[in-house]
Amino acid sequence: MEAKYEFEKKFREQILQCSRCGFCQAVCPVYGATLRPGLNARGKMLILKEIMDNKLDLSDELIETLFQCTTCASCFENCPSGVNVPEIIRQVRKDMVHIGSCHPAFKGMNEVLKKHPNIYAENEAEDFDREKNRKAEYVFFVGCVGLYREDESTEATLELLDRLGVDYTLIDEVCCSGVLEDVGYRINESLAGKNIERILATGAKTVITGCPYCYRTFNNKPQYEELREKGVEVVHVSQFLKDFEFGVRTDKRVTYHDPCDLGRHCGIYEEPRETIRKIAPDFVEMRHNHVDSLCCGAGGGVRGAFAKNSIAMARRRLEEAEEVGAEVVLTDCNSRVHNLANAKLRRQKFRIYNTTQFINELLDQAER
Amino acid sequence: MESAEQISEILKLANSKKIPVIPRGAGTGLSGMAVPAKGGIVLDLSHMNKILKISIEDRLAIVQPGVVYADLEKALAPHGFFFPPDPASGTVCTLGGNVATNAGGVKGAKYGTTRDYVLALQVVLPDGRIMRTGSKAIKSVSGYDLTRLFVGSEGTLGVVTEITLKINPRPPVTTTALATFDDLEDAGRAVSQIMHSGIIPSVLEILGRHTIVAINQNMDLNLPEVDAMLLVETDGYTREEAEYQMEKVIGVFNNNNPKEVKKARSLQDAEELWKARKSAYAVLARIKSHFVLEDVTVPMGKVADLLKGVEEISRKQGIQIATFGHAGDGNLHPQILYDGYDPDQVKRMEAASADLFKLAIDLGGTLTGEHGIGLSKAPYMGLEHDPVAMDVMRSIKKILDPNNILNPGKMALDG
Ligand SMILES: Cc1cc2nc3c(=O)[nH]c(=O)nc-3n(C[C@H](O)[C@H](O)[C@H](O)COP(=O)(O)OP(=O)(O)OC[C@H]3O[C@@H](n4cnc5c(N)ncnc54)[C@H](O)[C@@H]3O)c2cc1C
Ligand code: SF4
Ligand code: SF4
Repeated sequence: MEAKYEFEKKFREQILQCSRCGFCQAVCPVYGATLRPGLNARGKMLILKEIMDNKLDLSDELIETLFQCTTCASCFENCPSGVNVPEIIRQVRKDMVHIGSCHPAFKGMNEVLKKHPNIYAENEAEDFDREKNRKAEYVFFVGCVGLYREDESTEATLELLDRLGVDYTLIDEVCCSGVLEDVGYRINESLAGKNIERILATGAKTVITGCPYCYRTFNNKPQYEELREKGVEVVHVSQFLKDFEFGVRTDKRVTYHDPCDLGRHCGIYEEPRETIRKIAPDFVEMRHNHVDSLCCGAGGGVRGAFAKNSIAMARRRLEEAEEVGAEVVLTDCNSRVHNLANAKLRRQKFRIYNTTQFINELLDQAER
Repeated sequence: MESAEQISEILKLANSKKIPVIPRGAGTGLSGMAVPAKGGIVLDLSHMNKILKISIEDRLAIVQPGVVYADLEKALAPHGFFFPPDPASGTVCTLGGNVATNAGGVKGAKYGTTRDYVLALQVVLPDGRIMRTGSKAIKSVSGYDLTRLFVGSEGTLGVVTEITLKINPRPPVTTTALATFDDLEDAGRAVSQIMHSGIIPSVLEILGRHTIVAINQNMDLNLPEVDAMLLVETDGYTREEAEYQMEKVIGVFNNNNPKEVKKARSLQDAEELWKARKSAYAVLARIKSHFVLEDVTVPMGKVADLLKGVEEISRKQGIQIATFGHAGDGNLHPQILYDGYDPDQVKRMEAASADLFKLAIDLGGTLTGEHGIGLSKAPYMGLEHDPVAMDVMRSIKKILDPNNILNPGKMALDG
């Protein structure tokens, strides 16, 4: 019988391969925050199997479980049967959108990106008092969260690049729209085209992204193929910084949160740590780190659609920072800074920064 | 679910309306134990996840049933203590599930299974009454051993709502070695002779030929493709103590024609030696779309016979069976690999399971060393237990649960 949905055509074997061992339950942030077995990878795979066996059909009722996944890939990393849950979930969401079942927040996001150049429907982009779209060696691509929600952190990153004498330019960037792929839609080609055109116009051979998700999108998605064809390299700011010396240090106890998009999805674990160790001799790892790092709950559209649980996931992450007595929690993603900062409890005395912002602050203090 | 009182109310209602109730921990049980075969209420206990007390001077921990095994491990570690059963599903399964299934693990030979550590329980009975069994004392011979009646009862007699566990100091030093044998007979003899040597290794695991070949086909470990591989760990409070035991074990290996014996010189080496054993499950889980992980158990001296018998069954039924497991306590895991959408393969798998059970019983063993009876092994209870024993079990079930509401359809208790 012809498969009814794309997810079945592409992933039938993988879904059947799930032995329901439950190892994913131990690492799924959504399960950790809710303790609801239907929401972890095993629950999701069971539901999909029922659909393949014609015992259930895709419908609005399944939005809560199938859309409540941060695509953090912790389950995939720990799955003895090799089930690539985030990929499967992405495809299922596309099938759901196709039949008209979608979380309203994601539907809204897709609509916004049809009309506006960013996910926040903002029309005035901050220009950080810098000339944009000029010829330069590097393009610094900020990303939506950095432009509209964490602009202080972005300002600090740019100041740091200035201090390091980097010849970069900002561009009139629009949303990379990679996130649409996670929530059931496709990358908006018109937005991608604008980014490519504006990057190429600067003559830069390297794009530095502030956002791990933009980094992934530029490097992996076919809609950005042209950049790669034209020999433009895309690096994340944490990779770019690792060869610099900063000449400052902190006595504070510092820990690092691996963003899922940088760590599990791109394998970038060491570069951020190399940089941090240079400035923070008292660097400590949280209980879950590197490939086992606990997801902060922001990804996969979960922050927008299931805000309460997203915050609960971030709280679990911050408890681990507290456990190791960290005074500073560093990460390399504006979206993570945003979610973790929202989740921080008053009694938790540590501060949460992007690594760039923290280094810049140390340099400020040294100058004073 | 958050308290015994709430559960009591639910059970009272369910009992009066004769609605089945199925307690559930993490749902990692391997014999369909938490499956609501007859419908009803699935009682998810994972929210009762508090560690209520750790008392080192009393050598015990008191926990709610939904505490995950690994979380108790983490809480005990700073005290230098541990709860030894160590099931392979420890990052996920709950202590309530461990009690209800009498879970065990790689350390079974030396440290026993869950049953050896449960001192006391709080249980809600099917009629809603709340009962305490046992005591906090390490020794107690007061009355019938109701605690042990509930250990391994698979949620058929009562809902466990609080558990008092004996805990052990963790010996800080371990040594690890690995031996391979071209001939299964030699490996079997080595296992028996280790027992004769007076040493009880903290771990004594075996991998059979099919498992080794499957690992080689899927990973870059380049294992020698032999009949059997034995992984051994000894532990102690001093290096000398652990080494002394290991020397004896290696002596036994050397007397039994090993192809190779490797001893770890560092923790890193030890990790290398563990790799094959640790990857076995994941490798086998990917070979076919479905598998059944059995856990037949025989007296230690019969481990080689069991392995040989498994190969014969695999040939006879024309189905792939790869075996690994705990040689140190006679508990092996033949993993039957098949395609669940092919009716012929399903039939072969079922026939192979039935043969396996018969083989284990013929060798003086049991259907299950740690995974339990549940749904999947219920039809075979009569193979192992005589009619009188079955009658006694069913009578106990009737006294405690006359309306058969708790986890009905499991363990062949329905008659
Ligand atoms: C990959 C893998 C490896 C495994 N390795 C091992 C191993 O090494 N050793 C081993 O022994 N087992 C092993 N198991 C089996 C399983 O993990 C154990 O049986 C475990 O004890 C089940 O715990 P659970 O919390 O998942 O219980 P569940 O599966 O949820 O329930 C199991 C049974 O216990 C009952 N139950 C659960 N909680 C309670 C309660 N509070 N009160 C009354 N009844 C209750 C249920 O009704 C059910 O009958 C493994 C399983 C998997 C998937
Ligand atoms: S870890 Fe993998 S095989 Fe196990 S239940 Fe989760 S998705 Fe399924
Ligand atoms: S990708 Fe992350 S959130 Fe999604 S099911 Fe897997 S572990 Fe859970």
